Amino acid sequence: METGARLKQSSSVVGSTRSRLLILYSLPIPTLLLASLLIGGYSINLQDAVSAIVGGGRPEAALIVHSIRLPRALAALFGGACLGVSGAILQALFRNPLADSYILGVSAGSSLFLALSMLLGVTLGAWSPTNPYALYLASFSGALLVTALMTSLSGVVRSTTTILIAGLMISYIAYSLTSILQTLVEIEKLRAFTYWIMGSFAGARWSILTPGLPAIAISLSSTLLLAKPLNALLLGEDYARSMGMNLKRTRMMIVAAASLPVAIVTALAGAVGFIGLCAPYLARQLSRTSNHFTIIPASALLGSTLTLAADLLSRLALRPIEIPITGVTALFGAPLVIYLLLRGRGVQL
Amino acid sequence: MIHTVRLSLGYGDKVIVRDVNISVRPGEFVSVIGPNAAGKTTLLKTLASLLKPIAGVVYIDGLAVANLRPRELASLIGVVLTDQVKLTMLTVAEVVALGRYPYTGLLGSLSQEDRREVLRALSDVGLEELADRRFCELSDGQRQKVMIARALAQEPRALILDEPVTHLDPKARVEVLMMIKRVCRERRIVVVASLHEVDLALRMADRLIIVSDGGVIAYDSPEEFIMDGGPTALFGLGECILFSPELATVEFRWPQDRDERIFVVAGGGSGSLVYRMLNRLGYSFSTGVLHKGDVDYIVAKSLGGVVIEEEAFQPISPRKMVQALEEARSCAAVIYTSPPIGPLNSENRKLAEAAAVEGRPLIVLGPRGIRGAWRVVDSFPELEQSLQLLREKAVAPTIPRGGSGRSINP
Repeated sequence: METGARLKQSSSVVGSTRSRLLILYSLPIPTLLLASLLIGGYSINLQDAVSAIVGGGRPEAALIVHSIRLPRALAALFGGACLGVSGAILQALFRNPLADSYILGVSAGSSLFLALSMLLGVTLGAWSPTNPYALYLASFSGALLVTALMTSLSGVVRSTTTILIAGLMISYIAYSLTSILQTLVEIEKLRAFTYWIMGSFAGARWSILTPGLPAIAISLSSTLLLAKPLNALLLGEDYARSMGMNLKRTRMMIVAAASLPVAIVTALAGAVGFIGLCAPYLARQLSRTSNHFTIIPASALLGSTLTLAADLLSRLALRPIEIPITGVTALFGAPLVIYLLLRGRGVQL
Repeated sequence: MIHTVRLSLGYGDKVIVRDVNISVRPGEFVSVIGPNAAGKTTLLKTLASLLKPIAGVVYIDGLAVANLRPRELASLIGVVLTDQVKLTMLTVAEVVALGRYPYTGLLGSLSQEDRREVLRALSDVGLEELADRRFCELSDGQRQKVMIARALAQEPRALILDEPVTHLDPKARVEVLMMIKRVCRERRIVVVASLHEVDLALRMADRLIIVSDGGVIAYDSPEEFIMDGGPTALFGLGECILFSPELATVEFRWPQDRDERIFVVAGGGSGSLVYRMLNRLGYSFSTGVLHKGDVDYIVAKSLGGVVIEEEAFQPISPRKMVQALEEARSCAAVIYTSPPIGPLNSENRKLAEAAAVEGRPLIVLGPRGIRGAWRVVDSFPELEQSLQLLREKAVAPTIPRGGSGRSINP
């Protein structure tokens, strides 16, 4: 009975530690959001920003805050959360701290389909190539195509390492097709597409953000339902199956749940690298746990924080010129990849 | 209870083991042994339904496992594998709680009963104290105990373990296996465990399943398997590597590349380690007079020594005495291991004394002095030194055979 009380106590301790950690991780976000509104080519002070949101103030400032900075900040906020979450679930699925949406080839597939839609005007419906729904649809289609491919592959090859390499190869093919497309089109169309190729939240507007919000909400909230199978997968696929997991179905759900948020981010900002890799790594290191009931929300919050910070840096670094966000994320992300490669099998998941 | 009906297993179309018909009762610890790559893991994975059988059916408590849903299966069979999961920062309690997977809902929250089962499993393996420790901080043995607790938390009817102790140190191996046996007997769980270490299996298992040559043979007891000469046949032993049925373990003879033969006067266990040393150093040896069934008799025989033997519990007969004297005369030296001497083996002391009288090098190991001994030693390093000395001084004439190794380095 004594131990019973202790176990109960210990699990409630875990619960309160979790909420405390999550509160801690969300602390920088308001400041970063505010900074995103204030910092940029046109200087805006706090008063301008507040009045722009509540209504009124200088019309110029209000216009910039309202139509450019706010949607951009929110896109980075949600996009970062999406990237963090997709990285966390993919790393658990592949039991590999180097796995993220890029390795699966999902974002490459998204980019290719965005390129098809924007550059060649190939849309699946009656929409114009720049219609936001057409963009999301293209992005989703690309992601789903790769997802379907990966899923059927995972049915044939049981080894997750093989799937990882297959995903990388699919990325190469998609990127090479995308660059062939780029060489075929006129320069004006290309300039519009550059955002998606380089990866930047600068182009995020309400027109593209608003239609994506319901999808963001659904995809972020549903990933918590995967925490239980992801925890079981930490012990390996055989153990997970022996504990009652339907491996094939769960794997499909995980792949889909990881691709959906990536498709959203690709439509918003193009290919943003390394957030999906760094956020879950930081989440595990800071929280000192592998429990996905903590890691998933923590990766979302840290993904948001990292993305907002990287977006700010991309504006500030070579002011007034903006650099692509991946130019910033690669600076801390790539060394982490090298570090993880050097650590090899000693990295904890 | 697990039983199989005409089970054939393998990967794809390739049958590895065919026609498996076994049945295991609750509380029994069945060990699966066989040469590497004979299909032990394949058999266990098929029993655990991690692998589809090529033909035939596995039943657990009368239910065909192929018809069960993953959750139903998980509440009947728990699995522990060789490969260790190390890199997780989940706590011990969290890992064990994963065993409640088939019972918890979408968000995995533990009910009162789930917690009780987690606790019971932890206390069964004796790790309650470590509940809050991180899994990656544990020792190999503790980790494997946690994995077993996790399987127990599934409240299974059967536990299937694939070489569960292979990566553990010798003490942890025995500890973990004894723990499994005790817990599963208490919980009336069927245990099927493959064991890489055959001598462990022979000591631990209630029954044996032998996998070899594409089939299985079930033995109702390890002892029956040993008496059948099973280990020798199974692992293709003979010549230099032998299975000693009395000791239930594998013995091996080193190539005896020394020309000198040593005579050992022993008995009552005083000679076993001396034989092993001589064997290791490459000496051939003769020994006597030993009573049949004496542990020295068993060890000497299994190491390939020439044994002058007497019937058990009979005084040493003059005929055997003469035989032993003659054998000792043909040897380069005599080692007297100071065996316990009583009415039935008092002749053995005379054997040593005769060697001294005849001027043969007599090495006495232990406290019981013998007049005329060449050397008296009281430790094995000293004994080894004496043997070395014997060679260098060529106390006894040695006739080198044309060994190629020696001629290179004279």
